[in-house]
Amino acid sequence: MDIFHNIFLGFQVASSWENLLFCFVGVLIGTLIGVLPGIGPTTGVAILIPITFGMNATTAIITMAGVYYGAMYGGSTTSILLNVPGESSSVMTTLDGYQMARKGRAGPALGMAALASFIAGTFAVLMLTFLAPALADYAVSFGPPEYFALTFMGLTLVTSLGGDSPLKGLISGVLGLLVACVGIDAQSGVARFTFDNMNLLDGVGFIGMAVGLFAASEVLVNIEEPMQQIFTEAKLNFLSLFPNLQDWKDSFGALWRGSILGFVIGVLPGAGATIASFMAYAVEKKMSKHPEKFGTGVIEGVAAPEGANNAAAGGAMVPLLTLGIPGSGTTAVMLGALLIHGLRPGPLLFSTRPDFVWGLIASMYIGNVMLVILNMPLIGIWVRLLKVPYSVLMPMIITISAVGVFATDNNIFDMWIMFFFGVLGYIMRKLDYPPAPMVLALVLGPMVEMSLRQSLTISHGSIAIFFTRPISGTLAVIALLSLFAPLLRILWSRARTGKRAVS
Amino acid sequence: MKKADLITGIVLLALSGYVIQEAWRMPPSGTFGPGSGFLPFWVGVLLTLLAVILLATAWRRQATEKDSKSPFPGKRALIAITAVLGGLAVYIVLIEVLGYLVDTFLYVTFLMGIVEREKWPRTLGVAVLTTAGLYLIFQVLLGITLPSNTFGF
Repeated sequence: MDIFHNIFLGFQVASSWENLLFCFVGVLIGTLIGVLPGIGPTTGVAILIPITFGMNATTAIITMAGVYYGAMYGGSTTSILLNVPGESSSVMTTLDGYQMARKGRAGPALGMAALASFIAGTFAVLMLTFLAPALADYAVSFGPPEYFALTFMGLTLVTSLGGDSPLKGLISGVLGLLVACVGIDAQSGVARFTFDNMNLLDGVGFIGMAVGLFAASEVLVNIEEPMQQIFTEAKLNFLSLFPNLQDWKDSFGALWRGSILGFVIGVLPGAGATIASFMAYAVEKKMSKHPEKFGTGVIEGVAAPEGANNAAAGGAMVPLLTLGIPGSGTTAVMLGALLIHGLRPGPLLFSTRPDFVWGLIASMYIGNVMLVILNMPLIGIWVRLLKVPYSVLMPMIITISAVGVFATDNNIFDMWIMFFFGVLGYIMRKLDYPPAPMVLALVLGPMVEMSLRQSLTISHGSIAIFFTRPISGTLAVIALLSLFAPLLRILWSRARTGKRAVS
Repeated sequence: MKKADLITGIVLLALSGYVIQEAWRMPPSGTFGPGSGFLPFWVGVLLTLLAVILLATAWRRQATEKDSKSPFPGKRALIAITAVLGGLAVYIVLIEVLGYLVDTFLYVTFLMGIVEREKWPRTLGVAVLTTAGLYLIFQVLLGITLPSNTFGF
């Protein structure tokens, strides 16, 4: 079968010593980032772009993907031992994981977190293997109107699903579109919003902006809330990490439900690992025969969110690779990195660069195995790493960011871009504006504009073209619905409370 | 937060006004289909709309508990943030004068020793290690020429 041929090709690519090494480096850094609070996976991937610059594209993205799903593993460790989630996607793990640790069952909780991550992560890669080529085949026939509808839908879903205030998400996205307009217009050669600055003719550098918005602003937020030193005295040996038979029985349902739910949510643009873990936990609580025990240290409360967030990280690769539409902040940064490496993600990628696509997918199988090995026997080392104070990490993060941003283009101006977006990102975080839509819009901006203008040229200026073609019509309607979703949500909750009041 | 929303709304309105005005001056349509001013113009219009919604909802909203608190931190944290940012600006300005090695060493020392008030031996150790580590990654392994001073380092 074709798919086995492809997977075989992928493993050939992924098992070259260079790719194996950097896959390992990626998951190692990912685990580190997951363990350390105050530095998230998006920041990690953004800082890594300049360092992966000299590698070939496949190795670079294998490393970055490793950081992404590696962070999902590492985030659970601190959640369970210290009640401090390393990432927002492991917040739900603290609820039952920390309670298990307090009851002296830290070992099985950590073991289940790692094994659930492994099982769900592998499931997601399997699904990716079979689903992605089919979707890519389907998308080959897309024309400009479909692409516009698709990118438009990606933008509206991310802005309306992520964050507390959809309005602020939208504003962030629209500002990102404006930033994308800066520079020479590729279609007509007109310089736009360049303020006569030569450095801006090429547009705003993506790396400087991403590193500023995520890394620099994260540092600024962390400076103001000093983190206290945290220790744990939990004694862990390797054998204590394995969950017993009863634990497996209890978690079985949570594992497969979490895997499927996580994958589906990951595939949808806009809803990433965090939402997946929240929903998986909620579903498990609803399905359980003893929902009142959730929050007191039940193992399925660890298995469900940990499985779901890893499956979501795998699922998020589907739209990224097949359609070129990132579903989250981290994958948006990865898309930017792909473009820098000269790869245009989209349906054609599967036929033009099979070595890249399948190499990446195969590396994710390998990376998941590496992560179990890294996280089970070596868990003690990761816990000790928490003793590194933030005052040591902070200067390192800033200088790596600044030098990395400089190194991509040997241009001091990119450092100023990072500085500017660091300040802007800080203000945005303080005022509850999510930064992810802005980065997403910057990456997708040129594609949105090109497909929009091409479509309108085809249709002689009539926007009906987006609605009369079946695929683009469906996507455009979904996009519009998601724009008005917040409104519908308010109406729905009003109707519900109204009903409750009547009964 | 209410006050902050009102101020942001006004800033966004001003920005969108500028964008619309600029987009208006660009060639409105190419020979075929919409031109370079097309997207900026409509993005500007959209931004105006969003800013008006932001202003209107902030204006009408009852002040909640969260509104009475300023979203920005107290004086001490603000000084630390300004120091980090000011230091970064100085770092960027000086990197071509002092060269990467000296400039990075000084910035890390400043961040740890003065902003974070760490002990000096530790500070100097981390500063040396960070500077050397990044030099190793970028200059030696990746072959990128980092800025150097007139003495050549």
